[in-house]
Amino acid sequence: MSRLRTIDVVQGGLKKRYRFERLFRRLGLAAIILSLAFLSLLFISISMKGYTAFVQTFISITVHLDETKIDITNPGKAYYGSMVKEALRNALPEVQGRRDKRSLYGLISTGAEYQLRDMVMANPELIGTIQTVWVPADDDVDMLLKGHIDRHSPESERRISDKVIGWIDDLENQGVICKKFNTTFFSSGDSREPELAGIRGAAMGSLYTLLVTLAIAFPLGVGAAVYLEEFAPTNRWTDIIEVNINNLAAVPSIIFGLLGLAMFINFFGLPRSAPLVGGLVLSLMTLPTIIIAGRAALKAVPPSIREAALGIGASKVQMVMHHVLPLAMPGMLTGTIIGMAQALGETAPLLMIGMVAFIVDIPTALTDPAAVLPVQIYLWADSPERAFVEKTSAAIMVLLTFLICMNGAAVYLRRRFERRW
Amino acid sequence: MKGLKIGVALVAACMLTAGVAQARDYISVVGSSTVYPFATTVAERFGKTSSFKTPKIESTGSGGGLKLFCSGVGLQHPDITNASRRIKKSEYDRCQANGVKDIIEVKVGYDGIVMANSKKSPLLKLSRRDIYLALAKEVPNPKGGEELVENPYQIWSEVNPSLPNTKIKVLGPPPTSGTRDAFAELAVEGGCKTFPWLKAMKKQNKKHYKAVCRAVREDGVYVEAGENDNLIVQKLGADPIAVGVFGYSFLDQNADKVQGSMIEGVAPTFENISDGSYPVSRPLYFYVKKAHVDAVPAIKGYLAEFSSDQAWGEEGYLADKGMIPMPVEERASFADDIKILKPLEM
Amino acid sequence: MNLTIPSSQTVDLSTAIAPRDSRETVGQPFVDKARMECRDVDVSYGDTQAIYGVSLDIGSNEVMAMIGPSGCGKSTFLRCLNRMNDTIDSCRVSGSIELDGQDIYDKMVDVVPLRAQVGMVFQKPNPFPKSIYENIAYGPRIHGLASHKGDIDEIVETSLRKAGLWAEVKDRLDKPGTGLSGGQQQRLCIARTIAVSPEVILMDEPCSALDPIATARIEELIDELREHYTIAIVTHSMQQASRVSQRTAYFHLGYLIEVGATEQVFTTPQHRLTEEYITGRFG
Repeated sequence: MSRLRTIDVVQGGLKKRYRFERLFRRLGLAAIILSLAFLSLLFISISMKGYTAFVQTFISITVHLDETKIDITNPGKAYYGSMVKEALRNALPEVQGRRDKRSLYGLISTGAEYQLRDMVMANPELIGTIQTVWVPADDDVDMLLKGHIDRHSPESERRISDKVIGWIDDLENQGVICKKFNTTFFSSGDSREPELAGIRGAAMGSLYTLLVTLAIAFPLGVGAAVYLEEFAPTNRWTDIIEVNINNLAAVPSIIFGLLGLAMFINFFGLPRSAPLVGGLVLSLMTLPTIIIAGRAALKAVPPSIREAALGIGASKVQMVMHHVLPLAMPGMLTGTIIGMAQALGETAPLLMIGMVAFIVDIPTALTDPAAVLPVQIYLWADSPERAFVEKTSAAIMVLLTFLICMNGAAVYLRRRFERRW
Repeated sequence: MKGLKIGVALVAACMLTAGVAQARDYISVVGSSTVYPFATTVAERFGKTSSFKTPKIESTGSGGGLKLFCSGVGLQHPDITNASRRIKKSEYDRCQANGVKDIIEVKVGYDGIVMANSKKSPLLKLSRRDIYLALAKEVPNPKGGEELVENPYQIWSEVNPSLPNTKIKVLGPPPTSGTRDAFAELAVEGGCKTFPWLKAMKKQNKKHYKAVCRAVREDGVYVEAGENDNLIVQKLGADPIAVGVFGYSFLDQNADKVQGSMIEGVAPTFENISDGSYPVSRPLYFYVKKAHVDAVPAIKGYLAEFSSDQAWGEEGYLADKGMIPMPVEERASFADDIKILKPLEM
Repeated sequence: MNLTIPSSQTVDLSTAIAPRDSRETVGQPFVDKARMECRDVDVSYGDTQAIYGVSLDIGSNEVMAMIGPSGCGKSTFLRCLNRMNDTIDSCRVSGSIELDGQDIYDKMVDVVPLRAQVGMVFQKPNPFPKSIYENIAYGPRIHGLASHKGDIDEIVETSLRKAGLWAEVKDRLDKPGTGLSGGQQQRLCIARTIAVSPEVILMDEPCSALDPIATARIEELIDELREHYTIAIVTHSMQQASRVSQRTAYFHLGYLIEVGATEQVFTTPQHRLTEEYITGRFG
């Protein structure tokens, strides 16, 4: 075969080779663009629905904290609802009739009376004075002003009658309705009233649960990975253990919930709905992920580093602790964070141990009843009130922010501590 | 390895605190997801107006709730369970067997089950017989005779010529849901009973009758759309021919998007459900463990709050949330039962 | 294990060259003042035998070069001398290897102090991903050779000086060791090895990853180190063997074929295989 012919054959096939290469690259690019498009679609639709939850409609009312109605020695017992109602009547004196008055009182959240009560209890000197306070409006008012209820639709099709819309417009003209940043959303626990519902309870529940998960899964996972990778003899038993760990990583998470119910609640008698049990269950779920990631990280440490340490007389434990483990740590941390992020988004196992629950009080200890963020999203998504739609999306945004922070931390740790050799 | 030590200490600590954690200062409620929105509203009010902690309410479904409730007496077990149907004899027996002797039954109100479609489509006027023929697994042979055949109907007008000429597609909850049970019993069985020979079967072979009259078809016409009623509402907006099955409170909140079909000529409105003229409505209950009433002091207050007129009355806040109140006499009777903690007998 | 070597086995210089198929060791495998004495060493990995009955002495303060074609077992043999092969599960070693009269494969012998006595420099420079200072200080610290910072500073300086690296790195001791050039890294590894004051240094093709200038520096260094240490070096380069070593051992397919003074092995090999290898007929 002459040299010229080789060149000809190569040249002839070149076009085809490059065409395939171009096609392959384009397909890859298209795949990425498609997934990015879906992702941004998700983000955009959630943000569009959810951003309005960060503001809340407030109505300013002028309340007379009547000293005849409040027992100064026990201000908590007074019925502040009547004072709120009185204030509303004063603001719109034209409203008459029992039924209309009832609708009028509905403009303001039931939270208003508790707000007044807390205000008076914190500062008893206010009794007898006239105070102007901003109180949250009812969720229907909020929805109307945010445009989620169409005021031009036929009256029978909306929860707010034309008359009530008239009052709201009236109040707006008086300048006593405004939208403010919704601090309640970040400072309070769950509520059946959308305007009073917040994610703090769920966020604290998630925090406690993840703390327990981290405290248990990380040391156990790293310990198991180091032992299996560095010290365990290779025999049938370690093979069985390895197969089982890989299997566990793929077991549906609800199974861990059933296990947690049987073991931690029924056998050890730990309390239901507690972050402690949630954390224990989720750590069982995360352990395989951490072990597998840990072993991969340990395997990635080049043998030359091990030889170097052994070569100058380090014992095996010294080699692992001083050299191999520090080098594998970024990989292990990445695995741990990914496992934790997975745990953060989990609801199925928590259903079994009673964490899918309505909990108003913000948990303060590991044994207090608590929900977690994804559970809160699930519960809100299942609520009939229209105003929970935006709360659901807002809670998803908060959860996504947490996830992005955690995954960002994983990338940062990898970049920061990754060593080249 | 410091982390390992902390972890071990933590596990040890939880084992030790386990015994202590048994003391509970809040009410533990489990049960139906239909009653959940109402029970949580009461719980929240109760938590805010009393010196007790807000009760913890888990949404486990009626069956799951009763199972937990009947598993024993003691603070690790729930105090109250909500149910969107009455307790069954078998469940009651299980309770008795596990030492849960005295159970107080409280009916809280009614919930209408509606069939609704998108506002873009014409309003459906259905009878229970139409629902049975459209959705049952087996129906009487359309050619006549007293025999059952696999449901052949695909189009509403085949079921009843007055109905529109569109495909039958019904989105509803899965069999695990109490709403589905009630729908099958009230609507599907209700239609089944209108065939005299099928009704006669009830006397001869009750089991077979139930199997025939409550079985919902599984050939894709009835689509199991999950427990989330909001999702069904959303799907109806996107699909004009689809009909959804869900609780009244979701219709109430989404009246601008969906319309409730008339059943037997009655529209699913608050008034029609509460006066009993709308045929597909079911009572909602909760059950209280008498043995816990003294152990958890908050229970009495919670029961008082639930049975107050401002909660379950005609103008009460539960009605605002979409629950249909009981008539005055029925409310008074149950309020009395609560006061004397009258145990259920079955 | 005591082995008496019959004098008839040592081949007389004047006799004819040994034939190709002979696997008997020719030359002088034994010396008077041996630091390490290896007798009938067999090594196998699972079912595959890699070394067949090698008997060899390494004398004090000498550089012993081990040469041979790829896969001849010279590296395997070298790694037996400080039990680096222990890290491979399937590796089995039999025969005896004595360091100063003590069998290093004895059950009573701990590998940790052994490796402090018999240090090793590897084919590819493998400094720890830590600072230059920490690289050197690590060994003395884990063995407890020095506890005060001043003592460790002194060890670091003398080790780097002995390795001829001090002048180049004294201003950047806190910089990572992995930032040095290949040749410098290898000298850092040598400095790290001598920081624990071993008696024997094993070098496994220390220059194979280096350019000629860096190689020349290492070779000079080896020559200087001979004053204080006994060195065994595996090399692919016959020139290097002839430049740095006093004695040379030629391995072939797991057999020790010939041992002798370096000059003699390269000029008048006594085995046909050695002759073919050094004249470049194969390998």
